[in-house]
Amino acid sequence: MQVKSKLLFLSSIAVIFIINLFAGSIDPYFYTVIIYIGINMILATSLNLINGYTGQFSLGHAGFMAIGGYLSIALSTYFAPFFQRTFGTGVFGESITFIIVLLAGGTAAALVGLLVGVPSLRLKGDYLAITTLGFAEIIRVVIQNMDVIGASQGFRGVYIYTNGVKSPQMVQDLVDMPNIFYAVPKFTNFFWTFLFVAIIVYYVHNLINSTYGRGFLSVKDDEIAAESMGINTTKFKVSAFVTGAFFAGIAGVLYGHFNLYLNPEDFNFLKSVEIVVMVILGGMGSMIGVIIAAVLLTILPEFLRSVSEYRMIIYALLLIIIMLTRPQGLFGFKVKLKKDKNKK
Amino acid sequence: MRFGGLTCVDKVSTTVEENELLGMIGPNGAGKTTVFNMITGVYDPTEGDILFNNESIVPYKPYEVSKKGISRTFQNIRLFKSLSVKDNVRVSFIKNVQSKYFSSILQLPKFTKEEKEIDKKIDELLEMFDLLHEKDEYAVSLPYGDQRKLEIVRALATSPKLLLLDEPAAGMNPTEKVDLMNLIKKIKDLFSISILLIEHDMKVVMGVCERIFVLEYGKKIADGKPEEIRNDPKVILAYLGDTHAGN
Repeated sequence: MQVKSKLLFLSSIAVIFIINLFAGSIDPYFYTVIIYIGINMILATSLNLINGYTGQFSLGHAGFMAIGGYLSIALSTYFAPFFQRTFGTGVFGESITFIIVLLAGGTAAALVGLLVGVPSLRLKGDYLAITTLGFAEIIRVVIQNMDVIGASQGFRGVYIYTNGVKSPQMVQDLVDMPNIFYAVPKFTNFFWTFLFVAIIVYYVHNLINSTYGRGFLSVKDDEIAAESMGINTTKFKVSAFVTGAFFAGIAGVLYGHFNLYLNPEDFNFLKSVEIVVMVILGGMGSMIGVIIAAVLLTILPEFLRSVSEYRMIIYALLLIIIMLTRPQGLFGFKVKLKKDKNKK
Repeated sequence: MRFGGLTCVDKVSTTVEENELLGMIGPNGAGKTTVFNMITGVYDPTEGDILFNNESIVPYKPYEVSKKGISRTFQNIRLFKSLSVKDNVRVSFIKNVQSKYFSSILQLPKFTKEEKEIDKKIDELLEMFDLLHEKDEYAVSLPYGDQRKLEIVRALATSPKLLLLDEPAAGMNPTEKVDLMNLIKKIKDLFSISILLIEHDMKVVMGVCERIFVLEYGKKIADGKPEEIRNDPKVILAYLGDTHAGN
């Protein structure tokens, strides 16, 4: 069983690699949608670990995504000359650069997750949701006011002047000074995106199905009982939160290096809600459900482009209908009580 | 133990000897469950001390108390609803598990071996208490008596030295109560652990306990062998009220 999942993981990476070879022939529009599906899968699966499996309602996932995204594109633009010098500009060099910024973005998000998680995970339910929401807004507002990463105008690259001045905008005083513009490099492709989809699915699956990982589910079901059985619930909550934040950071890095432009508004409250909706729609704590919901919720708005102005209305209506008919989510499960138990 | 100005449990002192089955009884609101919550670290006593193996366990959190070897069940059943019977028991093994976060994800050989061992131990435990045929059911779908039993098995799986049972017979019918009494005796024989039992049902308490102590309004009013307790006028007064109150 465990050998099987390892094999499945490795073969899926091979498949992703092969598909990537033909990625060039995919229509650019579809390609974009496919990448966004991948990124949303990572976001939804990572939030599912926090909200679904561990039962902690976090509403600040976009904040972690923003940290990963912004930090990584700042690294890959401000340090572009350094990376190019050290690793070269070939596929290999770029891959190493990308791995570095990916890990940096993920780690930064995880560290912030730890910082936020330790105090706020004492809270439960609505209170935790509000705290995490507040935190995500703080991140956004801070970014909006940081000139080095473009502030509210967004960030698409860096001008590096020959005298060493670096700025995301043209500097008025240095108009005559020669400069090079380092745009955000387009590192993200099909391979990298779905490599991380495979990694997070494998990661969360293994974690949750292990004896140790059952602790996350026990925290969701009954904290008091879990504590009495020797489980450090705080530790489990924080580790779920940090893991979720790490992968949200990775998703941010992938998003930044695909879109090549980040704006603080990309990471507003609505983005967090969108991820939460994916988790709830898919069914809290259902891996396959959440992945399918990520696909649906990415494609649906695209399909509805034909009805333009009614698009968001229909989108919202569909969500309402699904929630009314299947409140446990598409693939969520309700614990069924065996009614005919006594007849046995 | 005080909650604000309300003194809930006042200067209660007793000892549970090794391998002893001590019963704790008392009318409703006497503070029995509060005593449990203090022992397991859910509440911190405002005064006094709790010693376990000559070590104060007052500063410990509930999960640390559990690691020290004290396990409990709950008055109103607290099973993990979304987990199967087997996984409910599995949770108890987490505190001692060697392969934690990263080795679980990487599925190192050590992890695979340990998972197998745990699986075996769970099966043995379930077998012992006749729950094995239900191991893949959701815990909440079990009949009431089995849910109580599963809670006890789950507590036992943490390999405690002291087991606290909070009204295990609550809501059971007479047959189930007899089963329960046998079960408690069996646990004591098989695992040779100390048990502290809260119970309202006199038949059960008198049937299994070696020693009983009685709480009323947070104070200890009696402590002794079942026969002594049965004839203790203070206990009878506490339970039945003063028959001469009207005169």
